[in-house]
Amino acid sequence: MLTYQFDWSIVTSGKYFQWLVSGLMMTLQISTAGIVFSFLIGLLIAVMRMSHFKPVRWFAHAYLEFFRNTPLLVQLFFWYFGSYKILPAFINDWLNTTNFEFAAALVALTIYTSAFIAEDIRSGVLSIPKEQLEAARSAGFSYLRAMQYIILPQAVRITVPPLVNQFLNLAKNSSLAMTIGVAELTYQARQIESYSFKGFEAFSAATLVYLVLSIVITALIHQYNTRILNPHRA
Amino acid sequence: MIKFQGVNKWFKKLHVLNNIDLHVRQGEVVVVCGPSGSGKSTLIRTINQLEPIEQGSLVVDGMDLCHKKTDLNKLRAEVGFVFQQFNLYPHLSTLSNITLAPTKIRKTPKKEAEEQAMQLLERVGLANKRDAYPSQLSGGQQQRVAIARALAMKPRIMLFDEPTSALDPEMIGEVLAVMQDLAKSGMTMVCVTHEMGFAREVAHRVVFMDHGVILEEAHPEEFFRNPQHDRAKQFLKQLLSPMH
Repeated sequence: MLTYQFDWSIVTSGKYFQWLVSGLMMTLQISTAGIVFSFLIGLLIAVMRMSHFKPVRWFAHAYLEFFRNTPLLVQLFFWYFGSYKILPAFINDWLNTTNFEFAAALVALTIYTSAFIAEDIRSGVLSIPKEQLEAARSAGFSYLRAMQYIILPQAVRITVPPLVNQFLNLAKNSSLAMTIGVAELTYQARQIESYSFKGFEAFSAATLVYLVLSIVITALIHQYNTRILNPHRA
Repeated sequence: MIKFQGVNKWFKKLHVLNNIDLHVRQGEVVVVCGPSGSGKSTLIRTINQLEPIEQGSLVVDGMDLCHKKTDLNKLRAEVGFVFQQFNLYPHLSTLSNITLAPTKIRKTPKKEAEEQAMQLLERVGLANKRDAYPSQLSGGQQQRVAIARALAMKPRIMLFDEPTSALDPEMIGEVLAVMQDLAKSGMTMVCVTHEMGFAREVAHRVVFMDHGVILEEAHPEEFFRNPQHDRAKQFLKQLLSPMH
């Protein structure tokens, strides 16, 4: 016999609904900032990974291997519980006045995801025919300018589908931030469950919100890709 | 304008340029021909240092290419290069392909660069294609845009590396017409090509290469009527035989 009494109204109105909305806002903040920063850092690491200057190349390679091959949760705990211990007291005093949970979560998600993005962008660059670089260099562009104006714009277009995957992973992985006390969507769903014992409704609602969020991110990037990046192929 | 002296280059053990001496004067049009693998593409690619040289001296437009302090980007801005496969930037429209280098390297204001680009497009007969993307153009049209793109930097020298070899036969004429027009305007040109009609019409000199060596250097009339070297005779016979 099923004795559980469903009450969907608790997640569609009232206090708990407010909690879900505020959790979603936090998830959106972390995801948006994370997507922007991880893309920029990923781009930088990808270019460094292809540098002709060995120390720069090695640094980028070490960065990639390190952050790709260790668990995100451990990295998150390191940034939150470990990183500040080696900082001088006055910086710690200042950190205590800030939202350190949010910062640690953002740093962890950004760095972790940027390593994957860098590899995706690098394979995009490698798929651009070398003649494109020759054409750019023979026009007088330096290596970096050729990358900026000719190679990367093409590589990023090719890289859009894998990039969407990384962005979705970042948005979903932001749920781990609840473990260090960031009041994002999963954290709020857990709270609702603790207060109301309506775990089914709370986590169903959170699941649905993540699903919609992912679909919106995919659709936005798809629109951007077809309308703005590749207008002539539409 | 371009001076090779005792230039040597190797790809691993292959001696691709063997003791090259060649002097191209300002306003001169030089056609380089020879069988495939003779080193003619490598030769032309050394002029803007897409290929470095290992030995000898090479001076282009007063710049010593063997000197470490020579700014290669500056050299390349003065030397236009047209590729066999066009190599237009596929993510940019025709107009942006032409204006990119002038605006970013020469810092030409955008409006001025676009006006110049339109003049160049008129000159190559493609003014109506300003907003088209490379994938929407035929091979011949792409190559004419590539020539306009190179000319937009107002180069002192133009290099052509088999510009018509990747084209359908009926498109070769339109590209050669642009090149002839350019040659007659007094541009210094080095062209790797097998278009003997073009060579006869506008070249001041034909250079014949095989196995990395310049075997013959002559006025086109003389080269076609009376080639000196056996290898050149054989090459010309094969090149012209399908016509007979």
